[in-house]
Amino acid sequence: MAMRQTPLTCSGHTRPVVDLAFSGITPYGYFLISACKDGKPMLRQGDTGDWIGTFLGHKGAVWGATLNKDATKAATAAADFTAKVWDAVSGDELMTLAHKHIVKTVDFTQDSNYLLTGGQDKLLRIYDLNKPEAEPKEISGHTSGIKKALWCSEDKQILSADDKTVRLWDHATMTEVKSLNFNMSVSSMEYIPEGEILVITYGRSIAFHSAVSLDPIKSFEAPATINSASLHPEKEFLVAGGEDFKLYKYDYNSGEELESYKGHFGPIHCVRFSPDGELYASGSEDGTLRLWQTVVGKTYGLWKCVLPEDSGELAKPKISFPETTEEELEEIASENSDSIYSSTPEVKA
Amino acid sequence: MACLPVLCGLPAKTRIMQTPPAIPVPVLRLPRGPDGLSRGFAPDGRRAPPKPEVPGSPGSPVGRESRESREQQARAALRERYLRSLLAMVGHQVNFTLHEGVHVTAHFGAADLDVANFYVLQLQTPIGVQAEALLRCSDIISYTFKP
Repeated sequence: MAMRQTPLTCSGHTRPVVDLAFSGITPYGYFLISACKDGKPMLRQGDTGDWIGTFLGHKGAVWGATLNKDATKAATAAADFTAKVWDAVSGDELMTLAHKHIVKTVDFTQDSNYLLTGGQDKLLRIYDLNKPEAEPKEISGHTSGIKKALWCSEDKQILSADDKTVRLWDHATMTEVKSLNFNMSVSSMEYIPEGEILVITYGRSIAFHSAVSLDPIKSFEAPATINSASLHPEKEFLVAGGEDFKLYKYDYNSGEELESYKGHFGPIHCVRFSPDGELYASGSEDGTLRLWQTVVGKTYGLWKCVLPEDSGELAKPKISFPETTEEELEEIASENSDSIYSSTPEVKA
Repeated sequence: MACLPVLCGLPAKTRIMQTPPAIPVPVLRLPRGPDGLSRGFAPDGRRAPPKPEVPGSPGSPVGRESRESREQQARAALRERYLRSLLAMVGHQVNFTLHEGVHVTAHFGAADLDVANFYVLQLQTPIGVQAEALLRCSDIISYTFKP
C-alpha cells in the first residue's frame, strides 16, 4: 500500500525560521533548536517536535542557533550584536558575548569548551567558555560578512563561509589554509565529520567538497534556488530546500531525485537531518518547522505504521527512547482512538 | 510495423493501471507547541536538575522527598489492601447498593483492570435472576460482603 508523507508541523514562532540545529543523541533522546527572526529561539524534542522551552533574552532577530553534543548548552547569534550561551536544561542565560555587529553563526567544539562566532563584522571569534571574561581570539581575512562558521577536523580547523568564498583555517596558528571562490552567493554550509564532507549550496547547486582539502567531490542541480541542504548520516540521501517552497530528496550516489514535497508556505531557509537519520527538519519563511520522515510510513516518533492486514486498526507506536514516562504512554494510548489523517499539509499544533 | 499484443480490446501499452490512492501516514498526535504562558523548561521535565537547596528544612529536598515517599508508600499500601479485598470477594455473596435506591445481590466473580466493571453471577434483581452480568462500577454507590 503506497504511503504519502505526513509532515509534522511545529508552530510557535511568529516570524521566519532562519536556522535550525540538532544535538547529538543523548540518553534523553536528541533535541532541536530553531533560530527565528522573532528573537525567541526554541528548544524542541528532536523526534517529536514537542516544544520544551524558549530562550528569552535576545533583543533582535536570532540568525544562528546551535546545541552542544549532549544538548546541555545552547548558543545563539543575533542581530542585537550579541551571541548568547544558554543552559539548555533550565533555559537560563549563561553568557552574553558582545560583538561589534550582527552575529550570524555560532558553533561549539566537541568538548563544549570553545565557541566559534562569526557575523557582519567579518571576524571569526573563538571564546573560551571556561573563561568568559577573557577576550576572544580573533581571525580576520573575510572581505564580506560571515554567514556560517564551523569547527572541523576534530576542532583542529575552522571552516567559514561569507558571500562568495569558503575558507579553511588552522585553529592553532589562526591562519588561512585554503579557500574556495564562488560566482554566486553561498547560501549554506554543513559539515559531516564522518568522512570529512562539506555540503555547500549556492544558486541551484548542491555541492560536496572534502572538508580537509576543499577539493570538489560532486555536485547536483536542483530545479530551483536552494537555500540549505543536508546529507544523511549514512550518506545515502540528501535533502534540500529553497525558494520554490519545496523539499527535495536525492540519492547521494546517483544524484537521482527520489522525492519532493510541497508543504511550506514560504521559502525554506534551513534543512537538517536528525542525528539518527530517521527524519529531517525544515525551517521556513512561513514561521514553521516541519519534520519529515526519511522512510515514509515507518513507525517512528509520532508517525505510526499501518499493518496491511488490519486496515481498521493501527499498530502499536514504537517509542524509541527509554525515558518515556508512564503518563506519556497513557496519554499516547488515550489519544490513539482518534488517529489524525492530515489530508492537507497545513496542520497547526 | 510492430503489432502490440491486444488484450480486452486495448493494446497492452494503453491498458490503464488503476492504482489505489496513497494514504497519508497516520500520526499519533501533532507536536505540542508552546503553552503561551511560560518560557517552558518544565522543572518536572525529563532532564530537570536536582534543586540545590539547604538540607534539613521542611521545604528541603530531603524533607520533601521523605514526605512524598511516605505518602507514596501509604497510597501503595491502601491500593494493595483494596486489591486484596477484591480478591477476597470472589465467590462470595455481595450486596450492592445502586442508584435510585436499588439493592441487588450477586456472587462476585471478578473486576476488570480499571475496576470499571464487576463480573457477577446469579444477580438477583427486582425483575428476576440473571445468571451472569456485568455491573458498571459507576452505578454502584456501595457494596458489602461477609468474608
